[in-house]
Amino acid sequence: MLAGGPWRADEVLLHEPVRDRSVTAWHAAINAVMAGCRPEYFPVVGAALTAVGDPEFKLHGPATSTGGAALMVIVNGPVRESIGLHAGGNLFGPGVRANATIGRALRLVLLNCLDCRAGVLDQSTQGWAGKYSLCFAEHEAASPWEPLHVARGFRAGQSTVTVFAAESGHNVLVHAAREPETLLVAFADAMAALGSLSPGRSVIVLAPEHARYLGLAGWSRARTQAWLYEHARRPLAELKRAGKVEAQFLVSEEMRRWLYGNAAGPAADTANAHARVLPGDETVAVHRGLGPDDILLCVGGGDAGGHSAFFPSWSRGRSVPFVTKEIPL
Amino acid sequence: MTRILDPTLRAVPPRAAVRAPRPARLDGAALGLLANGKTHGMAFLERVAEHFSARHGAREIVRVTKANASAPVRPEDAALLAKRCAAVVTAIGD
Repeated sequence: MLAGGPWRADEVLLHEPVRDRSVTAWHAAINAVMAGCRPEYFPVVGAALTAVGDPEFKLHGPATSTGGAALMVIVNGPVRESIGLHAGGNLFGPGVRANATIGRALRLVLLNCLDCRAGVLDQSTQGWAGKYSLCFAEHEAASPWEPLHVARGFRAGQSTVTVFAAESGHNVLVHAAREPETLLVAFADAMAALGSLSPGRSVIVLAPEHARYLGLAGWSRARTQAWLYEHARRPLAELKRAGKVEAQFLVSEEMRRWLYGNAAGPAADTANAHARVLPGDETVAVHRGLGPDDILLCVGGGDAGGHSAFFPSWSRGRSVPFVTKEIPL
Repeated sequence: MTRILDPTLRAVPPRAAVRAPRPARLDGAALGLLANGKTHGMAFLERVAEHFSARHGAREIVRVTKANASAPVRPEDAALLAKRCAAVVTAIGD
């Protein structure tokens, strides 16, 4: 397994600073063998570990929180074909060894090396099935836009992983819309669902059919992101009625910015302001995320069917960023 | 031949860390409060400090809240606590 990647056995691929644990290529390789990886998958496993180990990703939170996030790994570039990583039909489901085992190797590293076991350091209230494995390739050929990694500053000829701390996904089913302003309504509605509405990021995996309609209409990636951000919103009053505004949100600069934008919002000493609908709350629009760049768009799935997916980020707060790393081949 | 390998880090010794000497007494000591950044960590620690002060008469209370619960304490904050405090209490509060 080690021979499949460029790393020395003692090279540290992931350092978790909160617990001061270092995962070397040696231990990553053992877990990759246990997961069922072929040696040629190991560069992807190593790059994904490097990505979730990026200090900006702050792995300790999504790995241990009650939120129960999965580590999503989106792969771009030539490596997809060379190792047979699947981007087509049933891409989140079973049946393809590379998809199943690369994500599983990551999870085994968390279980075995970082003690992220249920009831030990993994305190997920429920977790979800994506925690077994959530690795897929972007269906670049079906995208109307540049591949995801090119949009994130890499060259098309490079291979990359993009990681995301994902809560469970939501199927976005639309079969009778072609115009973007109609097609995207259901996406924005799913993103604005109260269950997961937060200032965090979003991943949208567009079905090829949906992606094609956006392309035919000439919509760019940026325009689609901007439209979704603008429409994935709820009145603040609805959040309050649903118990989604916690008292401490109103003393957090970041959360106040999410709820009120540039408006002042209620004075800090307004009694019970988090739960009580105040004048104006019906017209304060609370968006998912803090801007269009918080929405990552990629393409995946089978040629037939209007089934896309929305994955909200872990946590009720800002969560962790998308991180993209090159796969060393 | 079958070779058994350990997938865990249990056989990897943790990095050596030097523990601060335990203070002989806490009366009149400076106490550090290190909240982990979750929402109510400092609220909980303030109650701890009240009890501590009632019992030991703290000379000074130094408060640090981590900017992010998922990140380690910043080196400058750790240095401040180490320099000014005889003891530090840390807590999570959600």
